[in-house]
Amino acid sequence: MAPRIKHDKPGLWSALASPIGKKVLTGITGFAWAGFVILHMAGNLSYFGAGEAYNEYAHKLLSTGPLLYAVEIVLLICLVIHAILGVNIYLGKRRARKQGYDAYRSAGRPGLQSPSSRTMLLTGVVLLVFLVIHLKSFKFGPGIAEGYSLLVDGEPIRDLKRLVTEKFQHPIYAFGYTGVMVLLGFHLRHGVWSALQSLGAMNRRLTPLIYGIAALLAVGIAAGFVVLPLYIYFFAP
Amino acid sequence: MAQTMTIHLKVWRQSGPDAKGKLVDYTLENLNEDMSFLEALDVLNEELIKKGEDPVEFDNDCREGICGSCGLMVGGIAHGPMKATAVCQLHMRHYKDGDTIVVEPFRATAFPIIKDLVVDRSAFDRIIAAGGYVSVDTGGAPDANSLPIPKEHVDEAFDFATCIGCGACVASCPNASASLFTGAKVAHLAHLPQGRIERKERVVRMVDQMKAEGFGDCSNHGECEAVCPKQISIAAIAKMRREYLRALFG
Amino acid sequence: MKLEAHVPSGPLAEKWQNYLDRAKLVNPANKRKHDILVVGTGLAGGSAAATLSELGYNVKVFCIQDSARRAHSIAAQGGINAAKNYPNDGDTVWRLFYDTIKGGDYRAREANVHRLAAVSNQIIDQCVAQGVPFAREYGGLLDNRSFGGAQVSRTFYARGQTGQQLLLGAYQALERQVRTGGVKMFPRREMLELVVVDGQARGIIVRNLVTGELERHAGDAVLLCTGGYGNVYFLSTNAKNSNVTAAWRCHRKGAFFANPCYTQIHPTCIPVSGQYQSKLTLMSESLRNDGRVWVPRKAGDARPPENIPEEERDYFLERRYPGFGNLVPRDVASRAAKVICDDGFGVGVTGQAVYLDFEDAIGRLGESGVRERYGNLFEMYERITGENPYRAPMRIYPAVHYTMGGLWVDYRLMSTIPGLFVLGEANFSDHGANRLGASALMQGLADGYFVISSTLGDYIASGGGSGKADVSEAPFDEAAGVAEDRIKRLLHVDGDKTVTEFHRELGQIMWDYVGMSRNRKGLRHAMDAIADLRAEYWENVSVPGRKDTLNKNLEFAGRVADFLELGELMARDALHRDESCGAHFREEYQTEEGEALRRDEEYTYVAAWEFTGDAASPVMHKEMLSFEAVDLSTRSYK
Repeated sequence: MAPRIKHDKPGLWSALASPIGKKVLTGITGFAWAGFVILHMAGNLSYFGAGEAYNEYAHKLLSTGPLLYAVEIVLLICLVIHAILGVNIYLGKRRARKQGYDAYRSAGRPGLQSPSSRTMLLTGVVLLVFLVIHLKSFKFGPGIAEGYSLLVDGEPIRDLKRLVTEKFQHPIYAFGYTGVMVLLGFHLRHGVWSALQSLGAMNRRLTPLIYGIAALLAVGIAAGFVVLPLYIYFFAP
Repeated sequence: MAQTMTIHLKVWRQSGPDAKGKLVDYTLENLNEDMSFLEALDVLNEELIKKGEDPVEFDNDCREGICGSCGLMVGGIAHGPMKATAVCQLHMRHYKDGDTIVVEPFRATAFPIIKDLVVDRSAFDRIIAAGGYVSVDTGGAPDANSLPIPKEHVDEAFDFATCIGCGACVASCPNASASLFTGAKVAHLAHLPQGRIERKERVVRMVDQMKAEGFGDCSNHGECEAVCPKQISIAAIAKMRREYLRALFG
Repeated sequence: MKLEAHVPSGPLAEKWQNYLDRAKLVNPANKRKHDILVVGTGLAGGSAAATLSELGYNVKVFCIQDSARRAHSIAAQGGINAAKNYPNDGDTVWRLFYDTIKGGDYRAREANVHRLAAVSNQIIDQCVAQGVPFAREYGGLLDNRSFGGAQVSRTFYARGQTGQQLLLGAYQALERQVRTGGVKMFPRREMLELVVVDGQARGIIVRNLVTGELERHAGDAVLLCTGGYGNVYFLSTNAKNSNVTAAWRCHRKGAFFANPCYTQIHPTCIPVSGQYQSKLTLMSESLRNDGRVWVPRKAGDARPPENIPEEERDYFLERRYPGFGNLVPRDVASRAAKVICDDGFGVGVTGQAVYLDFEDAIGRLGESGVRERYGNLFEMYERITGENPYRAPMRIYPAVHYTMGGLWVDYRLMSTIPGLFVLGEANFSDHGANRLGASALMQGLADGYFVISSTLGDYIASGGGSGKADVSEAPFDEAAGVAEDRIKRLLHVDGDKTVTEFHRELGQIMWDYVGMSRNRKGLRHAMDAIADLRAEYWENVSVPGRKDTLNKNLEFAGRVADFLELGELMARDALHRDESCGAHFREEYQTEEGEALRRDEEYTYVAAWEFTGDAASPVMHKEMLSFEAVDLSTRSYK
């Protein structure tokens, strides 16, 4: 016999650790990052803006000070939770079916199983590794002290644009970044819809619609990110 | 007359719960396209018995797609390739002469194999026992029409209540999750006023039992809906999550 | 032995109330000291077990399936009758009673049928309270439909899956009791013997179908809720595992078997398509509300149906029964189809089918209208036959569907063995010689939810099942020994015919000679042929494998052995009943128009057969049926 349940009312912790709680948390933390990613993409696109729009945008962001730190801490916490739950769900799935099938295939629609949904952990790990490199290259990369500066209204600010332009002139960085952003789109293709389903926001009529919109969003975000490195690599002076 | 066909089967044979199993090749000749897939297995078993060998064990009963006894992975898909069809109603006309079909049991840690293609799905009963009911004793129910219920609510409830408990959702789920099964019962009862009285305890207890049984977590692949013989929507899973959140915060 | 039905006194409509008023009650504190064994988890068993546990009894429940939810009640499609009169079309308890007893051709016990009608309304209330999603009107109230030719709309339904929804309701109630600890479930167990101690049913021997172990269970009463025996025909609409074994082993232990020849052949089934066929699929007879049954006027006309012009079609039900047309009762519709096919007018490859045509309905309602009413049935037909019934008419043929006969029970549902109660299709009590549509679900739930709770209590409170039975007592040893010996014998025959081959042969004999239309010569032949087949069985059956593992073929071997005894009894019962009534049609007894000829003077009784130690020489006991409230009339559907 399987173990019987002891308590009817779950505490917050056991609720969060329940199959529902885990998915809700994964969804919320995923959404936080999806929001961040969209803002980041918008920021990237300001590279194409007139004058020093890109650098001014980056500067403005930095000058929010404590607010920025707060957001960064929240994002970091979300990331940790999201990653831990992802690994936990993956390990749980391994336990839930110890012997796999000799033959297995998807039955297709209306199922939503896709290469995207089946590789969430893999794309997630790649994105995590990328994130470390990415932060090292840019956020914690060379700044004013290293000569990447320019004067705006008489004040020296970091010339991030130059750094970005230089980096993306290297094929490894330009194409690596492009590749990872495609994977980001891949991750979001399932992730965005899945988060809504995990939060219980879906019903029979909404699901196909939202699933379609999620695809557009994923492609849009990936496209929004890859134009920058590709433009710089192929066209920038 | 219906066409005859030859079909090659690779069938999972396992003599007992702890025995090591393997796929065994069989060739069936002179099958008829009007046969059901289980009738083709019947033919195989008759041949095996004639040879004095042990027939292939597989659960089946009503053979009209409603009892939920049958359940096989046929060609890698729970209940085989036809939509809205339990394997007992899958017919050989959907195969071509000379096809090879792999037949495996529903695999999940929570569905241990008993023998060959037969698995133990009693975990589902325990999930229902955890709260999948309305607590009314026999007798004393008010007149059936004393509680009008909007037709659309009942229709919605019915769609979820059609679950036959076959376990295809678990078998096809990459995570071996029982969320569609559990969600379907939660959603059925949550759509009806009779079921709303106990809605909070119900969803919490059923979800806890689902976890205790060792099913995986749902990753929203939706494969369960694709193989469900009753085409139960994963909206049931979303509903279960809403019910759970309501139980926590509502 | 005189059969005492224990029908309470008083006017018909007050009998049940009188019984309840006087039935002895078990002290609530004592109920938990009583172990009740319930075998079978269909509508009758599931509802009885849940209800008894709610009352405080200690209930052990056994089923052959892996889960209580899979019992064959789940497959009932059409609906459940009740005398609610919600549509205000004049229905009453009396009318439901009258229709049921008339539909059974006056071969049922009046008091039982009236009780059934009287508790019908409570069943609907109970099921709705459980959350059974019956169909509703837009105003939120329950919807009813007319079913099987009834003149009033009294059938409650849940799409085409009423049985499923009712059974899941009972199953959920049962699982709730599992949680409370009042019910202990034993799935994948097959009852192989009844244990009788000092003349009372005190236990059962079950085989654990996974380990093969023979388990002994003792109790203070045994409730047999094991369904019907339609699978004696090999092909039927019953589930593959439906069988008579539990009931037959009780019969061999002294429970009389009543009216075994009354078997219902359902008219709207998908025809047989080949030798390999393992079972037949029924489609709800609600199809006959809008479908028209016909065959070509010319025998052997092989043209596709759409090429046969209107004037060359014979709508034989409408022709023969202008009053009811396509909605005549099941037995009448089935026999008419058989007669017309036997005369060579049948259609399809085998000639054993008639058309059920929706062309008119599609013209009247549009394809979408028909889809709304029958969509799931049309899909099912297409799934099985590969043909689209919106384009061409369906082909249908009658198939064995339900058995009205069963173990004899008195008014209290107790068999001739004290302490052995029989509920639902397994008993004989309420449907006489023919069951009306949507009455089986009603009976199963009436027995389980509302009758047994009182009658079992009365038995216990009157001293039945007193003292603890002990599984180490000699009667348990003996019963377990019998079960063990049979299994060993089956495994040791080592012949060269499979169980299925024997079963199919038996089924063919039954269908040909003890089927929809019977005659003296054929029945005599059937009895001999079955006896021969039975003798051959024990010398030439092949059952490979072991007894200590899951071995479904071994399970079937035991069941077919019992069918081989039952089949002969059915033929004997049909032979002795020199009349036509309900589903029992004897060719010697028909009117000039070919309608059934009842012989009320001679045959207004229940034939209850006693096993005497040899399947070939049972003794018949009669329970005379007297009708104080209704006049015996000839059923006429013209």
